[in-house]
Amino acid sequence: MQQWRPENPAMTSDEVSMERSKGFVMALQELKNLRPQLYSAAEYCENSYLHNEQKQMVLDNLKDYAVQALVNAVDHLGTVAYKLTDLFEQQTLDVSTVGLKISCLNQKILTCQKYTDKEGIRQQRMFTNTARYHKHYILPNSVSRRMQSSPQLQTDVNLIHVQAKPRPHSSGSPASKTLSWHLASETNSASDRAPHAVPSTGNVKAPKITAEVFHLLNAEDTAAPMPLSTHLQSASSNPTSSLGLHSFGIRDPVEPSKPLITFRSFDNPGRLQIYRPPVRSKSLLSAFFAKNKSLKPRKAPVL
Amino acid sequence: MSRAGGITNAVNVGIAVQADWENREFISNISLNVRRLFEFLLQFEATTKSKLAALNEKLDILERRLEVLEVQVSTATTNPSVFT
Repeated sequence: MQQWRPENPAMTSDEVSMERSKGFVMALQELKNLRPQLYSAAEYCENSYLHNEQKQMVLDNLKDYAVQALVNAVDHLGTVAYKLTDLFEQQTLDVSTVGLKISCLNQKILTCQKYTDKEGIRQQRMFTNTARYHKHYILPNSVSRRMQSSPQLQTDVNLIHVQAKPRPHSSGSPASKTLSWHLASETNSASDRAPHAVPSTGNVKAPKITAEVFHLLNAEDTAAPMPLSTHLQSASSNPTSSLGLHSFGIRDPVEPSKPLITFRSFDNPGRLQIYRPPVRSKSLLSAFFAKNKSLKPRKAPVL
Repeated sequence: MSRAGGITNAVNVGIAVQADWENREFISNISLNVRRLFEFLLQFEATTKSKLAALNEKLDILERRLEVLEVQVSTATTNPSVFT
Protein backbone atom coordinates (compact mmCIF):
# COMPACT_ATOMS: atom_id res chain seq x y z
CA MET A 1 0.00 0.00 0.00
CA GLN A 2 1.28 3.38 -0.89
CA GLN A 3 1.64 5.77 2.01
CA TRP A 4 -0.09 9.12 1.70
CA ARG A 5 2.37 11.99 1.60
CA PRO A 6 1.22 15.48 2.50
CA GLU A 7 1.90 17.83 -0.37
CA ASN A 8 4.38 20.63 0.11
CA PRO A 9 2.51 23.95 -0.23
CA ALA A 10 5.58 25.50 -1.84
CA MET A 11 5.30 23.13 -4.80
CA THR A 12 4.23 24.55 -8.12
CA SER A 13 1.32 23.28 -10.16
CA ASP A 14 3.67 21.42 -12.48
CA GLU A 15 5.31 19.63 -9.59
CA VAL A 16 1.92 18.71 -8.14
CA SER A 17 0.79 17.26 -11.45
CA MET A 18 4.09 15.38 -11.70
CA GLU A 19 3.58 13.90 -8.25
CA ARG A 20 0.06 12.82 -9.14
CA SER A 21 1.26 11.20 -12.32
CA LYS A 22 4.00 9.38 -10.45
CA GLY A 23 1.51 8.11 -7.85
CA PHE A 24 -0.78 6.80 -10.56
CA VAL A 25 2.05 5.05 -12.37
CA MET A 26 3.28 3.43 -9.16
CA ALA A 27 -0.22 2.20 -8.25
CA LEU A 28 -0.63 0.76 -11.72
CA GLN A 29 2.75 -0.95 -11.45
CA GLU A 30 1.82 -2.53 -8.13
CA LEU A 31 -1.44 -3.82 -9.62
CA LYS A 32 0.48 -5.34 -12.46
CA ASN A 33 2.90 -7.00 -10.01
CA LEU A 34 -0.06 -8.53 -8.16
CA ARG A 35 -0.75 -10.97 -11.00
CA PRO A 36 2.51 -13.01 -10.83
CA GLN A 37 2.20 -13.04 -7.04
CA LEU A 38 -1.25 -14.64 -7.27
CA TYR A 39 -0.06 -17.14 -9.85
CA SER A 40 2.89 -18.18 -7.68
CA ALA A 41 0.65 -18.49 -4.61
CA ALA A 42 -1.78 -20.68 -6.53
CA GLU A 43 1.02 -23.04 -7.67
CA TYR A 44 2.39 -23.30 -4.13
CA CYS A 45 -1.05 -24.15 -2.70
CA GLU A 46 -1.63 -26.80 -5.36
CA ASN A 47 1.72 -28.50 -4.73
CA SER A 48 1.31 -28.38 -0.96
CA TYR A 49 -2.20 -29.86 -1.13
CA LEU A 50 -0.97 -32.72 -3.33
CA HIS A 51 2.18 -33.53 -1.40
CA ASN A 52 1.18 -32.70 2.16
CA GLU A 53 -0.71 -35.07 4.36
CA GLN A 54 -2.65 -32.44 6.29
CA LYS A 55 -4.90 -31.49 3.48
CA GLN A 56 -7.54 -29.82 5.62
CA MET A 57 -5.01 -27.39 7.04
CA VAL A 58 -3.74 -26.60 3.58
CA LEU A 59 -7.30 -26.06 2.44
CA ASP A 60 -8.05 -23.69 5.29
CA ASN A 61 -4.87 -21.73 4.63
CA LEU A 62 -5.75 -21.60 0.97
CA LYS A 63 -9.18 -20.18 1.76
CA ASP A 64 -7.74 -17.49 3.96
CA TYR A 65 -5.11 -16.59 1.39
CA ALA A 66 -7.72 -16.39 -1.39
CA VAL A 67 -9.83 -13.98 0.65
CA GLN A 68 -6.85 -11.78 1.45
CA ALA A 69 -5.66 -11.82 -2.14
CA LEU A 70 -9.09 -10.79 -3.36
CA VAL A 71 -9.26 -7.95 -0.84
CA ASN A 72 -5.76 -6.86 -1.84
CA ALA A 73 -6.65 -6.87 -5.51
CA VAL A 74 -9.80 -4.81 -4.85
CA ASP A 75 -7.75 -2.34 -2.83
CA HIS A 76 -5.18 -1.96 -5.59
CA LEU A 77 -7.84 -1.50 -8.22
CA GLY A 78 -9.58 1.15 -6.12
CA THR A 79 -6.30 3.02 -5.67
CA VAL A 80 -5.57 2.95 -9.37
CA ALA A 81 -9.09 4.10 -10.22
CA TYR A 82 -8.97 6.95 -7.71
CA LYS A 83 -5.58 8.18 -8.93
CA LEU A 84 -6.66 7.98 -12.54
CA THR A 85 -9.86 9.95 -11.81
CA ASP A 86 -7.86 12.56 -9.90
CA LEU A 87 -5.40 12.90 -12.75
CA PHE A 88 -8.23 13.20 -15.26
CA GLU A 89 -9.92 15.95 -13.25
CA GLN A 90 -6.64 17.83 -13.06
CA GLN A 91 -6.22 17.58 -16.80
CA THR A 92 -9.81 18.73 -17.37
CA LEU A 93 -9.20 21.73 -15.16
CA ASP A 94 -6.04 22.57 -17.07
CA VAL A 95 -7.90 22.30 -20.37
CA SER A 96 -10.65 24.61 -19.09
CA THR A 97 -8.03 27.13 -17.99
CA VAL A 98 -6.38 27.00 -21.40
CA GLY A 99 -9.78 27.45 -23.03
CA LEU A 100 -10.43 30.56 -20.95
CA LYS A 101 -7.02 31.99 -21.84
CA ILE A 102 -7.63 31.35 -25.52
CA SER A 103 -11.02 33.09 -25.29
CA CYS A 104 -9.28 36.01 -23.62
CA LEU A 105 -6.74 36.23 -26.44
CA ASN A 106 -9.53 35.99 -28.99
CA GLN A 107 -11.34 38.90 -27.40
CA LYS A 108 -8.18 40.96 -27.35
CA ILE A 109 -7.57 40.34 -31.02
CA LEU A 110 -11.18 41.18 -31.87
CA THR A 111 -10.84 44.43 -29.94
CA CYS A 112 -7.68 45.30 -31.87
CA GLN A 113 -9.39 44.54 -35.16
CA LYS A 114 -12.38 46.69 -34.26
CA TYR A 115 -10.08 49.52 -33.30
CA THR A 116 -8.18 49.32 -36.57
CA ASP A 117 -11.43 49.24 -38.52
CA LYS A 118 -12.71 52.28 -36.66
CA GLU A 119 -9.49 54.15 -37.21
CA GLY A 120 -9.52 53.28 -40.88
CA ILE A 121 -13.09 54.49 -41.29
CA ARG A 122 -12.30 57.66 -39.39
CA GLN A 123 -9.35 58.41 -41.61
CA GLN A 124 -11.41 57.72 -44.67
CA ARG A 125 -14.09 60.11 -43.47
CA MET A 126 -11.56 62.83 -42.93
CA PHE A 127 -10.36 62.70 -46.49
CA THR A 128 -13.63 62.29 -48.35
CA ASN A 129 -16.80 64.33 -48.16
CA THR A 130 -19.57 61.82 -48.55
CA ALA A 131 -22.96 63.09 -49.46
CA ARG A 132 -25.56 62.52 -46.79
CA TYR A 133 -29.15 62.50 -47.86
CA HIS A 134 -32.32 63.27 -46.08
CA LYS A 135 -35.91 62.51 -46.95
CA HIS A 136 -37.45 64.13 -49.97
CA TYR A 137 -40.90 63.69 -51.26
CA ILE A 138 -40.63 63.17 -54.95
CA LEU A 139 -43.33 63.68 -57.51
CA PRO A 140 -43.57 61.56 -60.63
CA ASN A 141 -42.07 62.98 -63.79
CA SER A 142 -45.37 63.22 -65.63
CA VAL A 143 -46.78 65.75 -63.20
CA SER A 144 -43.69 67.87 -63.31
CA ARG A 145 -43.74 67.96 -67.07
CA ARG A 146 -47.35 69.05 -67.12
CA MET A 147 -46.60 71.71 -64.64
CA GLN A 148 -43.69 72.93 -66.60
CA SER A 149 -45.56 72.93 -69.88
CA SER A 150 -48.35 75.04 -68.46
CA PRO A 151 -48.15 78.66 -69.70
CA GLN A 152 -49.40 80.08 -66.42
CA LEU A 153 -46.78 78.33 -64.47
CA GLN A 154 -45.04 80.41 -61.89
CA THR A 155 -41.46 79.93 -61.09
CA ASP A 156 -41.32 80.78 -57.46
CA VAL A 157 -42.05 78.83 -54.36
CA ASN A 158 -45.63 78.34 -55.29
CA LEU A 159 -44.75 75.48 -57.58
CA ILE A 160 -43.61 72.02 -56.81
CA HIS A 161 -41.04 70.55 -59.09
CA VAL A 162 -40.42 66.99 -59.70
CA GLN A 163 -36.88 65.96 -59.35
CA ALA A 164 -35.49 62.64 -58.49
CA LYS A 165 -32.15 63.77 -57.17
CA PRO A 166 -31.92 64.28 -53.49
CA ARG A 167 -30.18 67.34 -52.29
CA PRO A 168 -27.16 66.62 -50.20
CA HIS A 169 -26.48 68.72 -47.19
CA SER A 170 -23.34 69.48 -45.22
CA SER A 171 -21.70 66.69 -43.39
CA GLY A 172 -21.86 68.54 -40.13
CA SER A 173 -25.63 68.60 -39.99
CA PRO A 174 -27.53 65.56 -38.78
CA ALA A 175 -28.85 63.32 -41.49
CA SER A 176 -32.27 62.58 -40.05
CA LYS A 177 -34.67 65.48 -39.72
CA THR A 178 -38.38 65.55 -39.39
CA LEU A 179 -40.61 66.44 -42.27
CA SER A 180 -41.76 69.63 -40.56
CA TRP A 181 -38.19 70.76 -40.25
CA HIS A 182 -37.67 70.30 -43.97
CA LEU A 183 -40.84 72.13 -44.72
CA ALA A 184 -39.87 74.99 -42.47
CA SER A 185 -36.37 75.18 -43.83
CA GLU A 186 -37.56 75.13 -47.39
CA THR A 187 -40.20 77.73 -46.67
CA ASN A 188 -37.68 80.00 -45.02
CA SER A 189 -35.19 79.57 -47.80
CA ALA A 190 -37.82 80.22 -50.44
CA SER A 191 -39.07 83.35 -48.70
CA ASP A 192 -35.64 84.91 -48.99
CA ARG A 193 -35.35 84.19 -52.67
CA ALA A 194 -36.84 86.38 -55.45
CA PRO A 195 -39.14 84.73 -57.97
CA HIS A 196 -37.23 83.12 -60.75
CA ALA A 197 -37.93 81.24 -63.93
CA VAL A 198 -39.20 77.76 -64.09
CA PRO A 199 -36.31 75.34 -63.86
CA SER A 200 -35.93 72.51 -66.32
CA THR A 201 -36.46 68.95 -65.46
CA GLY A 202 -32.77 68.43 -65.03
CA ASN A 203 -32.45 70.87 -62.15
CA VAL A 204 -32.32 69.64 -58.64
CA LYS A 205 -34.99 71.22 -56.49
CA ALA A 206 -36.85 69.98 -53.49
CA PRO A 207 -40.63 70.09 -53.51
CA LYS A 208 -42.01 73.26 -51.94
CA ILE A 209 -44.48 71.91 -49.51
CA THR A 210 -45.76 73.73 -46.52
CA ALA A 211 -47.49 72.43 -43.49
CA GLU A 212 -50.66 74.17 -44.56
CA VAL A 213 -50.88 72.20 -47.73
CA PHE A 214 -50.42 69.00 -45.85
CA HIS A 215 -53.18 69.98 -43.53
CA LEU A 216 -55.28 70.71 -46.56
CA LEU A 217 -54.49 67.28 -47.82
CA ASN A 218 -55.36 65.73 -44.50
CA ALA A 219 -58.64 67.51 -44.41
CA GLU A 220 -59.34 66.31 -47.88
CA ASP A 221 -58.48 62.77 -47.00
CA THR A 222 -60.47 62.51 -43.79
CA ALA A 223 -63.63 64.43 -44.52
CA ALA A 224 -64.29 65.05 -48.17
CA PRO A 225 -62.68 66.61 -51.14
CA MET A 226 -64.72 69.73 -50.55
CA PRO A 227 -62.48 71.55 -48.09
CA LEU A 228 -59.70 71.84 -50.60
CA SER A 229 -61.95 73.18 -53.30
CA THR A 230 -63.58 75.37 -50.71
CA HIS A 231 -60.18 76.72 -49.78
CA LEU A 232 -59.31 77.29 -53.36
CA GLN A 233 -62.61 78.96 -54.09
CA SER A 234 -62.38 81.04 -51.01
CA ALA A 235 -58.91 82.01 -52.01
CA SER A 236 -60.09 82.90 -55.45
CA SER A 237 -63.00 84.87 -54.11
CA ASN A 238 -60.94 86.50 -51.43
CA PRO A 239 -57.70 87.77 -52.82
CA THR A 240 -56.61 89.10 -49.50
CA SER A 241 -56.47 85.64 -48.03
CA SER A 242 -53.30 84.95 -46.22
CA LEU A 243 -53.26 81.35 -47.18
CA GLY A 244 -50.00 80.40 -48.84
CA LEU A 245 -50.96 77.95 -51.47
CA HIS A 246 -48.29 75.74 -52.78
CA SER A 247 -50.00 73.70 -55.32
CA PHE A 248 -49.07 70.19 -56.27
CA GLY A 249 -51.36 70.27 -59.15
CA ILE A 250 -54.07 68.92 -56.91
CA ARG A 251 -57.50 68.99 -58.38
CA ASP A 252 -60.91 68.97 -56.84
CA PRO A 253 -62.25 65.48 -57.34
CA VAL A 254 -65.84 66.71 -57.31
CA GLU A 255 -65.28 69.11 -60.17
CA PRO A 256 -63.08 67.54 -62.77
CA SER A 257 -62.66 70.74 -64.75
CA LYS A 258 -61.51 73.53 -62.58
CA PRO A 259 -61.57 77.17 -63.57
CA LEU A 260 -58.66 79.46 -63.14
CA ILE A 261 -58.29 80.73 -59.62
CA THR A 262 -56.46 83.57 -58.14
CA PHE A 263 -54.74 83.34 -54.84
CA ARG A 264 -52.48 85.36 -52.76
CA SER A 265 -49.01 84.06 -52.32
CA PHE A 266 -47.76 83.61 -48.82
CA ASP A 267 -44.45 85.12 -49.69
CA ASN A 268 -45.84 88.09 -51.64
CA PRO A 269 -49.07 89.13 -49.93
CA GLY A 270 -49.61 92.17 -52.11
CA ARG A 271 -49.56 90.32 -55.33
CA LEU A 272 -52.24 88.29 -57.02
CA GLN A 273 -51.26 85.34 -59.13
CA ILE A 274 -53.26 83.35 -61.55
CA TYR A 275 -52.72 79.68 -61.57
CA ARG A 276 -54.35 76.88 -63.48
CA PRO A 277 -54.22 73.74 -61.38
CA PRO A 278 -53.07 70.76 -63.37
CA VAL A 279 -54.71 67.39 -63.40
CA ARG A 280 -54.25 65.40 -60.29
CA SER A 281 -52.96 61.92 -60.51
CA LYS A 282 -53.83 59.08 -58.21
CA SER A 283 -50.32 57.94 -57.63
CA LEU A 284 -49.29 61.39 -56.47
CA LEU A 285 -52.14 61.63 -53.99
CA SER A 286 -51.67 58.13 -52.73
CA ALA A 287 -48.02 58.83 -52.15
CA PHE A 288 -48.78 61.96 -50.22
CA PHE A 289 -51.64 60.54 -48.22
CA ALA A 290 -49.64 57.54 -47.27
CA LYS A 291 -46.86 59.71 -45.95
CA ASN A 292 -49.09 62.33 -44.39
CA LYS A 293 -51.00 59.91 -42.22
CA SER A 294 -48.33 60.29 -39.61
CA LEU A 295 -48.76 64.05 -39.64
CA LYS A 296 -52.52 64.01 -39.18
CA PRO A 297 -52.95 64.33 -35.44
CA ARG A 298 -50.56 67.22 -35.15
CA LYS A 299 -52.48 70.41 -35.93
CA ALA A 300 -55.81 71.69 -37.05
CA PRO A 301 -56.09 72.83 -40.66
CA VAL A 302 -55.21 76.31 -41.33
CA LEU A 303 -57.82 78.35 -43.08
CA MET B 1 -18.92 -54.10 14.88
CA SER B 2 -19.94 -53.92 11.36
CA ARG B 3 -22.93 -51.80 12.33
CA ALA B 4 -20.70 -49.42 14.25
CA GLY B 5 -18.43 -49.29 11.25
CA GLY B 6 -21.39 -48.53 9.05
CA ILE B 7 -22.57 -45.78 11.30
CA THR B 8 -19.09 -44.31 11.36
CA ASN B 9 -18.98 -44.40 7.61
CA ALA B 10 -22.31 -42.66 7.39
CA VAL B 11 -21.15 -39.98 9.79
CA ASN B 12 -17.97 -39.50 7.84
CA VAL B 13 -19.91 -39.23 4.61
CA GLY B 14 -22.18 -36.68 6.22
CA ILE B 15 -19.26 -34.66 7.45
CA ALA B 16 -17.58 -34.85 4.09
CA VAL B 17 -20.75 -33.76 2.33
CA GLN B 18 -21.12 -30.84 4.73
CA ALA B 19 -17.51 -29.82 4.20
CA ASP B 20 -18.00 -30.09 0.49
CA TRP B 21 -21.03 -27.87 0.67
CA GLU B 22 -19.06 -25.30 2.67
CA ASN B 23 -16.25 -25.37 0.18
CA ARG B 24 -18.65 -24.91 -2.68
CA GLU B 25 -20.30 -22.01 -0.90
CA PHE B 26 -16.93 -20.43 -0.33
CA ILE B 27 -15.99 -20.89 -3.95
CA SER B 28 -19.28 -19.40 -5.12
CA ASN B 29 -18.76 -16.37 -2.89
CA ILE B 30 -15.24 -15.87 -4.21
CA SER B 31 -16.34 -16.21 -7.83
CA LEU B 32 -19.27 -13.82 -7.24
CA ASN B 33 -16.95 -11.18 -5.88
CA VAL B 34 -14.53 -11.70 -8.72
CA ARG B 35 -17.38 -11.18 -11.18
CA ARG B 36 -18.37 -7.99 -9.36
CA LEU B 37 -14.79 -6.81 -9.63
CA PHE B 38 -14.84 -7.59 -13.33
CA GLU B 39 -18.07 -5.64 -13.84
CA PHE B 40 -16.60 -2.69 -11.98
CA LEU B 41 -13.57 -2.81 -14.24
CA LEU B 42 -15.75 -2.85 -17.37
CA GLN B 43 -17.83 0.08 -16.15
CA PHE B 44 -14.73 1.99 -15.16
CA GLU B 45 -13.21 1.42 -18.57
CA ALA B 46 -16.33 2.66 -20.42
CA THR B 47 -16.56 5.78 -18.25
CA THR B 48 -12.89 6.58 -18.63
CA LYS B 49 -13.06 6.10 -22.39
CA SER B 50 -15.99 8.52 -22.75
CA LYS B 51 -14.29 11.09 -20.52
CA LEU B 52 -11.07 10.83 -22.44
CA ALA B 53 -12.94 11.17 -25.75
CA ALA B 54 -14.66 14.35 -24.51
CA LEU B 55 -11.34 15.72 -23.31
CA ASN B 56 -9.76 14.88 -26.65
CA GLU B 57 -12.53 16.71 -28.48
CA LYS B 58 -12.07 19.78 -26.29
CA LEU B 59 -8.37 19.71 -26.94
CA ASP B 60 -8.95 19.52 -30.70
CA ILE B 61 -11.25 22.54 -30.57
CA LEU B 62 -8.75 24.47 -28.50
CA GLU B 63 -5.98 23.54 -30.88
CA ARG B 64 -7.93 24.87 -33.86
CA ARG B 65 -8.76 28.11 -32.07
CA LEU B 66 -5.14 28.49 -31.15
CA GLU B 67 -4.10 28.02 -34.75
CA VAL B 68 -6.54 30.72 -35.84
CA LEU B 69 -5.20 33.07 -33.20
CA GLU B 70 -1.68 32.30 -34.25
CA VAL B 71 -2.46 33.20 -37.85
CA GLN B 72 -4.19 36.42 -36.81
CA VAL B 73 -1.29 37.45 -34.60
CA SER B 74 1.24 36.66 -37.29
CA THR B 75 -0.79 38.73 -39.77
CA ALA B 76 -0.87 41.62 -37.35
CA THR B 77 2.86 41.44 -36.65
CA THR B 78 3.79 41.26 -40.34
CA ASN B 79 1.68 44.38 -41.08
CA PRO B 80 2.58 46.89 -38.39
CA SER B 81 1.56 49.79 -40.66
CA VAL B 82 -2.07 48.97 -39.94
CA PHE B 83 -1.69 50.15 -36.40
CA THR B 84 0.21 53.35 -37.22
